[in-house]
Amino acid sequence: MMTIDHKMNPTRQSKVMGLDDAAILARDALRERPDLCLGGLFKQGRPVALVRALLAAGAQGLHLYSSPGAGYDVDLMIAAGAVEEMFLPGVTLENRLCPNFRSAVEGGQVTAHALDALTVVGGLMASANGVPFQPIDALRGSDVLKHNPLIREIDCPFTGRRIHAVGPIRPRVTFLHAQEADRWGNLRHLSTMVYADQLMARASDMVIASVDRIVPDEVILDDPTRVTVPSHYVKAVVEVPFGAHPTASYPNYAMDEEHIDAYADLGDAARVGDRAGLEAYIARHVTEPKSQDDYIKAVGGPEYLARLEAEARDR
Amino acid sequence: MSVAVSPLEQMVVVLARDLADAELGAAGAAALVPMAAIALAREMHAPNLTVGGEMFFNPQPGRLYPSMLDDRALGHCEAAETFIELFGHSHHGLDFFFHSGLQHDAYGNINLHHVGGTLHAPKMRGPGAANLSYSHTSTRFYICPTVHNARNFVEKVDFLTIPGHLSGPESKREAGLTNEGPRFVVTPRAVMDFDEKTLRMRLKSVHAGNTPEEVQRQTGFDLAITGEVPQTPPPTDEELAVLRQRIDTTGALRV
Repeated sequence: MMTIDHKMNPTRQSKVMGLDDAAILARDALRERPDLCLGGLFKQGRPVALVRALLAAGAQGLHLYSSPGAGYDVDLMIAAGAVEEMFLPGVTLENRLCPNFRSAVEGGQVTAHALDALTVVGGLMASANGVPFQPIDALRGSDVLKHNPLIREIDCPFTGRRIHAVGPIRPRVTFLHAQEADRWGNLRHLSTMVYADQLMARASDMVIASVDRIVPDEVILDDPTRVTVPSHYVKAVVEVPFGAHPTASYPNYAMDEEHIDAYADLGDAARVGDRAGLEAYIARHVTEPKSQDDYIKAVGGPEYLARLEAEARDR
Repeated sequence: MSVAVSPLEQMVVVLARDLADAELGAAGAAALVPMAAIALAREMHAPNLTVGGEMFFNPQPGRLYPSMLDDRALGHCEAAETFIELFGHSHHGLDFFFHSGLQHDAYGNINLHHVGGTLHAPKMRGPGAANLSYSHTSTRFYICPTVHNARNFVEKVDFLTIPGHLSGPESKREAGLTNEGPRFVVTPRAVMDFDEKTLRMRLKSVHAGNTPEEVQRQTGFDLAITGEVPQTPPPTDEELAVLRQRIDTTGALRV
């Protein structure tokens, strides 16, 4: 019998990466094709640390996709001048409008296409499933249909009825935020909602995920049904404490509504001509921090963020 | 009750009374009033009503939140879904849904995209909307903005985001809108419904403290007022007690 030599045991490669390296990987991929997609929804589970790192790495001319509800992070990317086109059904901070989104669209600096949720979800489904289009039979009567660039009218081959088709939406890069992953990139969302994250992972060329913590392999192996996105779909995983801040990462920390509101006030001031506060915000939170630790200090430090952890625990 | 009924509480009660037992429905984007209405209906007369179609089933939030797409609000729920299931719900439709927007017009059409200018050169750009389909795949929907004035109630919307009754029965037929569409418009001032023949909005009742003349003055189109306009039936003591003690425990509807 032959003896098994140590050299015959190749090692599996970890997908754990640093935030800056992940941002450069994404930036370079997006230079080939600028379609970036963001996971989460509104103020929850948004990969904001990855977004900030991408902005700091100098990304430009982005075409943005998201789950059907986007807000703070998209507005920040617009404020930083990194966005060219948006394929987003709803852009809002929910309790108020997105100031930089508003002023950039009104001023003609960015193009915001009119879309709906089914177009985005259907386009991601077509891409994930590897089919040329996804039929949609629930769009009627809205002006959005006249402007939506991603849909076409087709005849249903079975009923003959006029329905819609959406072609594949294939993001070059998708950023996700999950609560846990192992070093191989198996993601676990512990939040109640998983949004469209699983669909986006399967629809994209390259998925880069931030997680609150990397867990031992055994945690994943002990409960494979809890894995929401298998590592097969994930290119890189980055451990970033408070990586979704100022959005929430339940059950670990709540959304920071005060921070988002203060940001929106600066955006509103910029909208009427006073950009100094907004520029200082971007410098303080995006360009100046050298690490996530620096960012945490800039937003108020661990003591401040402990409040958000407590709120998530007590909900 | 010692504290006066708030306009939002009056809205909640009107909407709750119209939801039936064993129906399936969801609250929509601006969820404070709709979610309270659903919760009140479940407490009062509709214990088998299912909240679903927005990625979670039967949340038990313990208090009201402005957005229901929030883990704080739906963290305690019976089951969670994703946007993949939302695709199916949007096609199958719900029994009821709720909408509100930047502008609402005489036929119950809603604008969430822009006021003035054009889509790509707007004077004022709004948030857009995620789900357009529930307005017509659902059996019916309610329009319930928390503001009612001549600027957000206009003869014709600048951009038609959410189809209501379009421009009447013929246009609805042509567009393939086969369900009821908007049934009631419930605002802090009044309740409106739609003329059966023309599908134009008309004043149905005014809430306590409002007059038909004032409501008309705050509306940018003719509300077809003829004769006496009744007062909206106020909340009963029981409705108000349940609403304040079990649903709106933080007084979000009285701010």
